[in-house]
Amino acid sequence: MSPHARLALTVGGLAALLVAVAAAALFVGSAAISPGAVIDAVTGRAAPASVESVVTRSIRLPRIAVAALAGAALAVAGVAFQALTRNPLAEPSVLGVSGGAAFGVVIGQSFGLGLTVLEAMGLTGLAFAGALLAAAAVYVIAAAGRGTIQIQTLLLAGVIVGIFFSAAITVIISLLDVNRLGGVIYWLLGNLAPIPPGALGLFAILLAVGFGLVLSHARELNLLALGEESAQQLGVNAERLKLTIFAGAALLTASVVAFAGPIGFVGLIVPHLLRMLLGPDNRLLVPTALVGGATFLLVADTLARNVVAPAELSVGVITSFCGAPFFVYLLRTRYRGTL
Amino acid sequence: MRGTEPGRTSLRPPTECRGLAAPAPVTPPLVEFRSVGFGYPASARHRARPFRLADLSFAIAPGEIVGVIGPNSSGKTTLIRLLTRVLEPVEGEIALEGERLQSWGRAELARRVAVVPQGVPRELPFTVRELVLMGRYPHAPGRFFENPADVAAARSAMEATGVLDLAPVALAALGGGETQRAVIARALAQEPRLLVLDEPTAHLDLRYQVETAALVRRLNRERGVTILLVSHDLNLAAEVTDRLLLLAEGRVARLGTPEDVLDERLLADVYGCDVRVESNPTTGRPTVWVSYTTDASPRCAER
Amino acid sequence: MSATALAIALVLVASAPAAAFSARDMLGREVALAAPPARIVSLVPSVTEVLFALGAEARLVGVTDFCDYPPAARAKPSVGGMVNPNLEAIVALRPDLVIATTEGNREETFAQLKRLGIPTYLVAAHHVRDVTDLIARLGALTGYQQAAGPLLVHLERRVAAVTAAVAPLPRPRVLYVLWPEPLIVPGREALVTELIRLAGGDSVTAADADAWPRYSLEAAVARLPEVILLANHGANTGPIDEERWRRLRSLPAIRDGRLRRVDGNLLHRYGPRVVDGLEQLARAIHPEAFR
Repeated sequence: MSPHARLALTVGGLAALLVAVAAAALFVGSAAISPGAVIDAVTGRAAPASVESVVTRSIRLPRIAVAALAGAALAVAGVAFQALTRNPLAEPSVLGVSGGAAFGVVIGQSFGLGLTVLEAMGLTGLAFAGALLAAAAVYVIAAAGRGTIQIQTLLLAGVIVGIFFSAAITVIISLLDVNRLGGVIYWLLGNLAPIPPGALGLFAILLAVGFGLVLSHARELNLLALGEESAQQLGVNAERLKLTIFAGAALLTASVVAFAGPIGFVGLIVPHLLRMLLGPDNRLLVPTALVGGATFLLVADTLARNVVAPAELSVGVITSFCGAPFFVYLLRTRYRGTL
Repeated sequence: MRGTEPGRTSLRPPTECRGLAAPAPVTPPLVEFRSVGFGYPASARHRARPFRLADLSFAIAPGEIVGVIGPNSSGKTTLIRLLTRVLEPVEGEIALEGERLQSWGRAELARRVAVVPQGVPRELPFTVRELVLMGRYPHAPGRFFENPADVAAARSAMEATGVLDLAPVALAALGGGETQRAVIARALAQEPRLLVLDEPTAHLDLRYQVETAALVRRLNRERGVTILLVSHDLNLAAEVTDRLLLLAEGRVARLGTPEDVLDERLLADVYGCDVRVESNPTTGRPTVWVSYTTDASPRCAER
Repeated sequence: MSATALAIALVLVASAPAAAFSARDMLGREVALAAPPARIVSLVPSVTEVLFALGAEARLVGVTDFCDYPPAARAKPSVGGMVNPNLEAIVALRPDLVIATTEGNREETFAQLKRLGIPTYLVAAHHVRDVTDLIARLGALTGYQQAAGPLLVHLERRVAAVTAAVAPLPRPRVLYVLWPEPLIVPGREALVTELIRLAGGDSVTAADADAWPRYSLEAAVARLPEVILLANHGANTGPIDEERWRRLRSLPAIRDGRLRRVDGNLLHRYGPRVVDGLEQLARAIHPEAFR
């Protein structure tokens, strides 16, 4: 089978799974809505102000979209960052960028932003500002006056910047008004919520940009596994590759924190799952991570909002509790080696 | 693999244009180093003082096998990095096919010069076939998947090094000798004019050393690939190469035939060890003898 | 009609809201409704208590898990917690109004409700007058103004009784402990501060501008409180650790045995039971006045 065909088949199969999961997720939720009513709402036959319409179109559908977009972004960022650093433990939060973005949001929540839609854009804007600050700090530390990025330093810098912002968030929490505390901590746990169509559109565009940046360099990422020097001797512009992949992964990670909140584990586990099933070729991994990550987080979120309805678990609980044992099982049965 | 590409003009006029009754035409060198100097930045952690390559001048003619030998830190690896534009010279100039190296694009350069490093990173998860196909990247960096022409070139390269049967095998499952041949195949897939081998027998046992040496000669004689062989193995270099470049502390100690370069006193100076050079009874090439016990080589023991 | 009167009439007509029934909430926001609300979801336990006290519970269709008083409130459908109410559950109840607070609910929740087209009425109370204001507003909102009047009169009478009883007594320095670790105490903007004052004491932490600032134990102890009140927080919290306070033997409060527990639910909520809380505070600070 030609590589093009194999890619199309794999991505197509996963995409079909994603659509099926998304459709199923529409029918489950804490409001007891009959399947017929859900279909009415989707097809437009139900009244716009009816319960099924509002719940299906304004709550479930946007939430499914957020989960899919966030899962896709995290998985792609995970693949990219693991390939860039040649480190299987690398995941988007190690970039340091999500710490900066979270700090921006916490600052905004502490000062009472978010009351109107406009102010909601302010929270997103603060997240990106924090992410940019963190990314700049990581880059400056990693480049360290030489003008070239040292990968090992990049990893360390990311960890340290992340720790710094975590500490900053802890400081804010310790001084925060008691009434706001619950809200900030709730956000920090990582919970998905529906967002307005404009924000969804922006999220999708940013995902597309980040995905494009990473996908267009998937072949070079394979070569990078030979070592930077060997990759350069094969014609790869290693400096530009490092910068581009870092920027792409940072953009994806910042978008997730800004629109969905801090969600961990997806960027670590999905790339490894796919690598175990499909092999190490990034040209396969990047597109399948897009669809696979979306499916993964969507399943986790659907469980999170339904297992103890009407209460909700935070989605990170599901990904960690369920993802970890499953990952261990795969590790023992199918492990073919590291990156 | 031979000859100039259309569109690439050499700095030297083609010999046909010279109106004089010339002697046998001089073949333009494939690679030329002219007074090249290099030093790592003073902040390099590992060295007591910044390393320098100084006044390095030599040329590689097409079809030659040139060896580079010298003690550790004499500049052998730096030379390769300069040649492949991983590093930029601080002084002097490097020319490839008569053109300044700086004017070559990265992919272009990789289609001319291929480097065989010492093995592959540990736990590289790819198969032999996937590794060899990576060598096709410089021919179409913008292409996402390799095309049938790439696959054919990779096959040919694997055949030449005898690893075609191992194509679907994971590199992690191969031994040292097979891995080395796979890496050579990857370099060959680049269809280079110049193949640079960096310590190709460093971790190989005797049988694979001999195999590699034979392979190198075969590639040169049958496929016309110019070879630059960097090695610390003096006897291998003596057997396989047409000319030798002996580096010492970043400078050219001697450039010439193995007989010229492998001179007892010169080697003793450069390496700081007493050696004996004799002629190999089978091949006629020089062979370097050194004793590893103190009484025969007192100077080595003092160091 | 004079030109001025005509102008005034025109202005009144022009500024009449398009909605038949609109209100301004306690944060000054305009809340537009088609009619007096008949299906209310309360995200605030205090508001739930007020609605029951007014007799308006028929209009209450949804409450939070924390709305536990009166006991009948627990029978109402719950939409989840205060920080993370379930949006689907709220929508399924088809409310025409959600009442919430900026102190305990999240602003993201208000943004979501706005996006879903559900009007939100925000409340907050830092002073006793806010409590009376809240009761009056909710009365007007639900159409139960008649019940509000007598309720307020009754509450005011009880408050007056307390203040009269403690008026002649010396005012001790009172340390109120909302939470022991980290030490959280009431500042100027906390309702409890005023309640303490009405109960005949002076909160040692009243000068702090925040509502519920954090204090180091040293800073609190340095104020030499004469009465220490430890608040509990509902049925599911464990026994308050009094030992760590009893160890501070040099403090006047410990020396004189004036370390008391109080029911936080009466003092942190701002429904009608706040007066019960006031009476409890007065008994804790001046037990001799209430034999």
